[in-house]
Amino acid sequence: MKSNANISDELLNAFVDNELETNEKSEILDVIGRDDALKGRVCELRGLKEMVKHAYHHPPMHEAAAENVMRLRRPQYVQNIRRIAACVLLLLLGGVSGWFIATKSESRNHSYVAYVSRAAHNINSATGQGNIIFQVSTSNPLRLKAVLDEAESLLEASRHENRQLNVEIMANAEGVDLLRADVSPYGKRIGLMQAKYPNLGFLACGQAIRTLRSSGIAVHLLPNTGVASSAAEEINKRLQQGWDYARI
Amino acid sequence: MKIFSLFCGVDAFQQQLEQIRPKLYRVAFSWSHNAALADDLVQETMIKALKNAAQLRDPALMNSWLFSILANCWRDHFRQHRDMDDIEELEDHRCIHETTPEDEHAQTQIVDRVRNAVAMLPMGQRQVLTLVDLEDFPYIEVAAILSIPIGTVMSRLCRARQSLKILLKELAPQQTARVSHIRRVI
Repeated sequence: MKSNANISDELLNAFVDNELETNEKSEILDVIGRDDALKGRVCELRGLKEMVKHAYHHPPMHEAAAENVMRLRRPQYVQNIRRIAACVLLLLLGGVSGWFIATKSESRNHSYVAYVSRAAHNINSATGQGNIIFQVSTSNPLRLKAVLDEAESLLEASRHENRQLNVEIMANAEGVDLLRADVSPYGKRIGLMQAKYPNLGFLACGQAIRTLRSSGIAVHLLPNTGVASSAAEEINKRLQQGWDYARI
Repeated sequence: MKIFSLFCGVDAFQQQLEQIRPKLYRVAFSWSHNAALADDLVQETMIKALKNAAQLRDPALMNSWLFSILANCWRDHFRQHRDMDDIEELEDHRCIHETTPEDEHAQTQIVDRVRNAVAMLPMGQRQVLTLVDLEDFPYIEVAAILSIPIGTVMSRLCRARQSLKILLKELAPQQTARVSHIRRVI
């Protein structure tokens, strides 16, 4: 029989978190019935648990959080196209291939997540084009150099292989420094790369620019640099278009 | 009509992600105590989830899979910003000690007091505590999310609650001694 003394704090925590087997739970409940001190310890732990839960029940929302809810949703027309395509396919296949569809869709249902991944990455595989978006979020010069090196080596390799490769470099947070005319350590190199590779694009995150401006910093971007409303939105868009994504 | 679900698979996945977003945000905020950073972490988690959706073999495990991505994003964030710190032992005192009069007033309220106390816990303990208390994850899932043994989950949780108890007492507003003066009125 257990007593207050041989009930460890860890065991009591497990009791409060409902992690114990029925017999262990019964033993502790027996002791609680006889021992007010143990009852006090349990009440204290439950109180702490409730306080933590309560403290984060309504965490403060960041301004961008509401926008973010929409970021992962694709435009309505894309959803409609998929539904229309589904209707057309249904008509075509009809009853003749009903059994086949049933089997196929059942197996797909189990691995629909794999389908999601394929849909997200291989949409453009038929065209033979390659697309990749790089994200850089830090102003660390080594990382800024790495993203340029990586993009350049891929573009150079694809040029040799006579393949078309579209590369986008998305700079957000502190990474925006890469594209700031007065700050970037690679302004000249970026200009040369833009002239050499027409399929290379540079985008700065609009949110990061707004943050800099709101703290009184004047932001001047390098020539031929685009601005996306937000990095996450641009990356989501590209992922949905089947682009590959790499974060440096 | 299963063919519809086949075509709408991406949407279903995204809808599931959106449903879990508030939970991810709550935990990310409890780890970072910074709304903008928590929002970034959640957004990064969502992007990684979309990108690596194929890695999720069993949709029933989606919840803990997403929280492990969040834990990795949080770890990566610290690797990028604090190369020399050990995340497990990290205590961010900064947000506690940079107090303003408004903060001091807010600290008298229980929510702020608890958040401040949680923010003072070492990161490893904070992660375990919030996953168990906020999201009701069983110990075994917390162990999987944070890639630590279940014994470590139990000991960290135990230490976290012991420290929390002490910190909450320390952070409680000091009662000013009320001195009653008896004045002669006649």
